[in-house]
Amino acid sequence: MVPLELLYIIIIFSLLYIAVVIFSYLGLRKLRKNILEQGREAKRRMYEIAILKEIGDRTGYSLNIQKILDVIVGSLGQFLDYSAVSYMLLSPSKVVFKVDLDESVSAKFVGDIRSRMLSSLSALLGRDIAETEIEETITGAIMVESSSDPVQSYFNIPLVIGGELVGVLTVSNTKPGLYKESEMEILYKIVNQASQAVTRLEDVIKTEQGKIAAMIESMLEGVVMTDKDYIVIAANPAAKTVIGHKEAGVPTIFNFIDAFSGTLDIRSKLEEAIKLDKILTINEVFFGNKYYQVVVSPVKANIGLTKGEILGGVIIFHDITHEKEAEKMRNDFTSMMVHELRSPLGNIKKIGEMMRTPKVLEDKQASSEYVTMLYESSSSMLDLVNDLLDIAKLEAGKFSIEKGAVKIREIIADRVKFFETVAKDAGINLTFIVGDGVPDTVSLDPKRISQVLNNLISNALNYTEKGGRVTISSFMHKKEKNIFDEASAVGVPWVTENMSSMLENTTDSLIISVTDTGEGISKENTEKLFNKFTQFSSSIRGAKHSGTGLGLVIARGIVEAHSGIIGVGSKEGKGSTFYFALPL
Amino acid sequence: MAKKILIIDDDKIFVKILRDGLMAGGGGKYEVITAFDGEEGFVTAANERPDLIMLDMMMPKVTGIEFLKKLRSVEWGKDTPVIIETQLSDLGKMSEGVELGVTGYIIKSDYSLDTILKQVEDVLK
Repeated sequence: MVPLELLYIIIIFSLLYIAVVIFSYLGLRKLRKNILEQGREAKRRMYEIAILKEIGDRTGYSLNIQKILDVIVGSLGQFLDYSAVSYMLLSPSKVVFKVDLDESVSAKFVGDIRSRMLSSLSALLGRDIAETEIEETITGAIMVESSSDPVQSYFNIPLVIGGELVGVLTVSNTKPGLYKESEMEILYKIVNQASQAVTRLEDVIKTEQGKIAAMIESMLEGVVMTDKDYIVIAANPAAKTVIGHKEAGVPTIFNFIDAFSGTLDIRSKLEEAIKLDKILTINEVFFGNKYYQVVVSPVKANIGLTKGEILGGVIIFHDITHEKEAEKMRNDFTSMMVHELRSPLGNIKKIGEMMRTPKVLEDKQASSEYVTMLYESSSSMLDLVNDLLDIAKLEAGKFSIEKGAVKIREIIADRVKFFETVAKDAGINLTFIVGDGVPDTVSLDPKRISQVLNNLISNALNYTEKGGRVTISSFMHKKEKNIFDEASAVGVPWVTENMSSMLENTTDSLIISVTDTGEGISKENTEKLFNKFTQFSSSIRGAKHSGTGLGLVIARGIVEAHSGIIGVGSKEGKGSTFYFALPL
Repeated sequence: MAKKILIIDDDKIFVKILRDGLMAGGGGKYEVITAFDGEEGFVTAANERPDLIMLDMMMPKVTGIEFLKKLRSVEWGKDTPVIIETQLSDLGKMSEGVELGVTGYIIKSDYSLDTILKQVEDVLK
């Protein structure tokens, strides 16, 4: 007899065993379910990745949402069971409606989808689009009129690009209750990712386009871009200015062709550039009082499958008027210099000829006259050559001064004395005024400052008529004091008109000035006085006076080498004050 | 009778050499008078009625061309022979001069006194 306890134990063990078996079974089932679930999830993921990859591969960098939607629609069958998948896209003038049928449905079914999609689009947009023209395309299975299956399962996914609703994607079925939330979610995700990709791409392109547009807008060169049919795509403001196009909007190629007719055949140049794939440069096109260098070049695609293909042409107008003017000034300068050197040289040659004749040789007075003339001619040449060398040094930045402690009053007085005879012969009153506080010694280059004084005083005497007055002065200038007050305090006449600098911000300086009662200089010309080239291109010096005018350019160089400022105040008919300030 | 030659030029040294050269080279055939600008030159020409004018083109006040225009506009100056003095760099002005009926030209720095003398002789023959 089996004891009762043993029976209990067996029963307990049996029960435990059954419980374990049941639990194990349940656990396994759960595990299996999980595994299956995970498998499905993995499959969805795979699909998701695959379709995104496909979208990427098939559409490339396309911004065309319709192309992307076609890819999604075409591959949806692998993942979803549907009767029809369709999309509607909004374009400015119409609605694109595309349906892909997977099984035979009735026209009523399609009509039903259409009206459902239109009303959801209207609802999403907040405006009625029922009246808009619809471009409908149906592909796939044949429509069977007899069938009358209604739309039983249906879901919509809005298409949003860059925060803007562009359309709606719809999946529908004749069978009811088909679409689970998880499926809708995945489709939503795919569409959403595709939209985001397009949005990002659009952003990048917009930013890049914006950068390029801003760059082209701000370019000094006129830029005109055309397509292959010579239709202007873009023209920047500078290009409009070139042809004087004042109306808003993009000018046409004919505006350019007409404007340049007779000067430059824009059309044939553009044709040549585009058809022959050549960059053409046309130098010196004179148009509208300006000189342009015109470059006509083909525009080629530089990315994608069409890389290297000619898309159109670009015309660039580079204004070279300034360069041409500078070139002309340089030429004027050179020919002026040649003239200035030839004249005395020609004279020297003729003096030599004269002196070879026995008559002149025997005549002592004539001989000595000719020798004086030889001396004068060669001196004037030497002066000019020295001036040119100084200018060359200034331009090369190799101009140097040798400063030393010098008695400034003596230096000025010496120059005044030097010109006394000339002034007396010309009937001009020459005076020298020294203000209080002028130091005994100043650190400067005595030779160079004397050169400046020579130039200023001889100019003043040259431009002053008989009976006039030339006043040379030296006085102290304090920072922030008015130079006119300081001048009048020491009794120095000063032409205050058109002053080139007021000296208020200058540190305490020694002022040296030369004031004349000559013909004066116009405001326009005072601005050109100290410039090498403009000296020649204008009639600054007046017809009455010869000389190269290089002296003032050199004077400025000398004063600036002393860290000083040179300037002028002048009024026509009244006279001029040339001054320079040397900081102490 | 000595032929009267008027030199109008602002280059005083050149005027002196040319004057001396014409006087000496002409051996007393020429009487030479001078003026240093176009304005003075026109007054002198009006008073002296020269047989030949030697005219500088680059002059202060009244330029050579202006002088020529003025000269050709008056009865006494219509047919006066004029030799213009130019620089090589200025030859462009020649055409203007030719239109105003100049008889010849000399290039100041390049021509020797002998050449100038010969040209003057030819004109005054």
